Amino acid sequence: MGRMCGHRFRFEFLALALLGALVTTPARAEVTTEKSSSILIYPKLLFNNYLDTVIQLSNTSNSIIYAHCFYVDARLTNPELPPGPLNPRIWQEVDFDLTLTKQQPTHWVISEGRSTDPFDPTCDNTNQSCNDAGFDPGRIPPVSPGFEGELKCIEVDQSGAPISGNHMKGEATLITRAPLIIGAPLVAGDASKYNAIGIIGLDSNDSNTVLCLGGGVTPQCPAGAEYEGCPNVVLLSNYAEFTSSPLLQEFFDPPTPSVVNTELTIVPCAQDFETQTPSRVRVQFAIYNEFEEPFSTSTTVTCWGNFTLAQVNSVLTVGSLGTRFVQTQLRPAGTDPGFIAIQEEFHRQYDTDPIELFPASRVAFNTHVIGERPLTDLIIIPEGP
Amino acid sequence: MEATVRKEKPMGSWLGRGLLGLCAALTLAATAAVARADVLSDGTAAILVVPKIVVNSELHIDTLIRISNRSDDPVRLWCFYTNATPVCTNGTGNCLPGHRFADLEPCTPSTACQQQWQEVDFHVVLTQHQPVAWLASVGAIDCRRLPNQTGIDPDLDNNPPCFPLDGIFRLGEGGQSNLGSNVPPVAQDPFIGELKCVTVNEDDEPQARNDVYGNVTILGGSKVDTDVSGYNIIGIQALENNDGDKTLVLGRAGDEGVEYNGCPNILILDHFFDFAEDPITGVPVITDLTLVPCSEDFLHQQTFPTTTQFLVFNEFEQRFSTSRRVECFRDIQLSNIDTNTPTRSIFSAQVAGTLTGQTRIRGVVGSDPAYGNTLIGIAEEFRPAGTASVNLHAQGVRPQKDYIYLPPF
Repeated sequence: MGRMCGHRFRFEFLALALLGALVTTPARAEVTTEKSSSILIYPKLLFNNYLDTVIQLSNTSNSIIYAHCFYVDARLTNPELPPGPLNPRIWQEVDFDLTLTKQQPTHWVISEGRSTDPFDPTCDNTNQSCNDAGFDPGRIPPVSPGFEGELKCIEVDQSGAPISGNHMKGEATLITRAPLIIGAPLVAGDASKYNAIGIIGLDSNDSNTVLCLGGGVTPQCPAGAEYEGCPNVVLLSNYAEFTSSPLLQEFFDPPTPSVVNTELTIVPCAQDFETQTPSRVRVQFAIYNEFEEPFSTSTTVTCWGNFTLAQVNSVLTVGSLGTRFVQTQLRPAGTDPGFIAIQEEFHRQYDTDPIELFPASRVAFNTHVIGERPLTDLIIIPEGP
Repeated sequence: MEATVRKEKPMGSWLGRGLLGLCAALTLAATAAVARADVLSDGTAAILVVPKIVVNSELHIDTLIRISNRSDDPVRLWCFYTNATPVCTNGTGNCLPGHRFADLEPCTPSTACQQQWQEVDFHVVLTQHQPVAWLASVGAIDCRRLPNQTGIDPDLDNNPPCFPLDGIFRLGEGGQSNLGSNVPPVAQDPFIGELKCVTVNEDDEPQARNDVYGNVTILGGSKVDTDVSGYNIIGIQALENNDGDKTLVLGRAGDEGVEYNGCPNILILDHFFDFAEDPITGVPVITDLTLVPCSEDFLHQQTFPTTTQFLVFNEFEQRFSTSRRVECFRDIQLSNIDTNTPTRSIFSAQVAGTLTGQTRIRGVVGSDPAYGNTLIGIAEEFRPAGTASVNLHAQGVRPQKDYIYLPPF
């Protein structure tokens, strides 16, 4: 009997262990920048004197879809001062609804929003300005000047309950209106573009207001994960800060000095729109230069972070790293929430005598990701009517 | 005796349950492994595809390729440049496709443009966690071999990107180095084409290691008005059952013989319709689309002509469609896909009527059912003062397989 129990224990334990391993082994994160999803996150939206953002969002299915979207205004309480405990981000959300017919693409400029006017002029042979032409997806509010933050859209059913349809894809284009004068001039009319980050919905979605990203069964997620989890590791392929751009210097004789900076935008995956409680994540940086020499540093992001790598720590500058190209791996510390990110590079040339900075051209990249966090991140949306 | 039977029965049943559990676990494990493989631009992979590389020193255009190894072990890549630069056989006119070169004096007649398809291969070795980069126009060599070098100069200012760990004077942790890496410059200037890199071992046998990723930056413009755009390198993830031969089989995970995940059934591009005015700056926007077939035959230099269907939706949900053939590489302005008169194109704002559209791109399965005829691509959005590139979205995998044939060295 004891032996039988031993057999039973061994086989069932083995089976359970394998199943358990399956559940806990980090799979490829299904946070995606190239597949239709149920949650779309546009991590970096800017509207100021120099920059504005165009949002594109499409329905990739043959049925009508609905989405509930949240703008998160993450500007600093005092934009004149650097972020800190005494100058937190306001983290103010505004939400609105969208309806998209089958395969319908739509767009809007965040500074203007979108009204519902069926008489918006269409483009034709004499008019190529048709900004609002098309079926209006709904009334989209404009953001206020100085906006910096994110947009999150969640696929819902007609009643407003979250569903795992996986029918949305999107892009954001950051466009420079006019050159900056102080410090960091940008090329007027330049554009950088990234794919919205998608989180794929699972069949286990219970359609309540607590969205469970990854992880297992918890009191708040009795059905387990409803959406794929956020990534374990976010990978950057970046320049060391303040290094030169080999692209810029090769064409001019004598070579003109140039400089590259990288701006990183981080959004925690966990968000509570019901109580307006911002999430806080400590981000660990593991950095490798071209000699494969490792370095590390960390920073803390509360609700939304947008900073140059040099602002994180001087170890990310070329003076410390010693080579031009770098691999950076980002992880949340301990049980902190997961996060997603995008990177934007600024390439500019300058003259040394007299010192003159030329406008910078920008290029945005979606980051690469590895694995799925074993822990759950919660997005809590306000209750509907 | 009865007791024995009674003893064996429950044991059998436990065994059965245990084995059943094991089978279920293994099945689930297999399913999970299947679900993990992907063609992607936001994860690490075993095959890297750079669909668009452009060099034109006269116009100050070059491409920087950055690749990183995220693993603790060195990675050896076998890379293939495909030169798809069309040549004007009737003089010096321009045959380069796309909006970027639209202002150049064209080659006349246009039929005098002769398409090339010529591959050059080379190797790159990345040590653990190492990032490397090179300019397409220059290539990359050991840093010590650069002119005017004093010793172990790293990849820094005034050097083109180079390989710093020469394996003799400079070794990485654990004795790893870039020994064996040498990237040639692209075959001509101007150049347009593609790059594919396959993870291999010392004997050039393909390996199922999903450890590399990277991105690409294309520079254009002038000293004052720099124009930089970029996109993520597209990765094809390997499955576990790679037989290491020179025929790489891409398809649905779990299908017989499949070693890498299949390319997407459909590519989806959200775009501005050509000539539509940018709502922020008021300037016209033009989009170029670059498509390359997933299948490639570097052994026989054979192309995989693919009829490509384009299904276009405007913001009124109105549908248009057209088709175009993709031989081995296609870089084309959207409004030139269906017509030579771009303002009459279904991709122009004049015809489509709205600012943005969604286009679904599908390679049609040809007469040979063995080939998937799938495509990979990226798009570039041009404004007069700036260019932005973007990776396409993907949908589904098809039952047919795609093949990459490597030369048998």
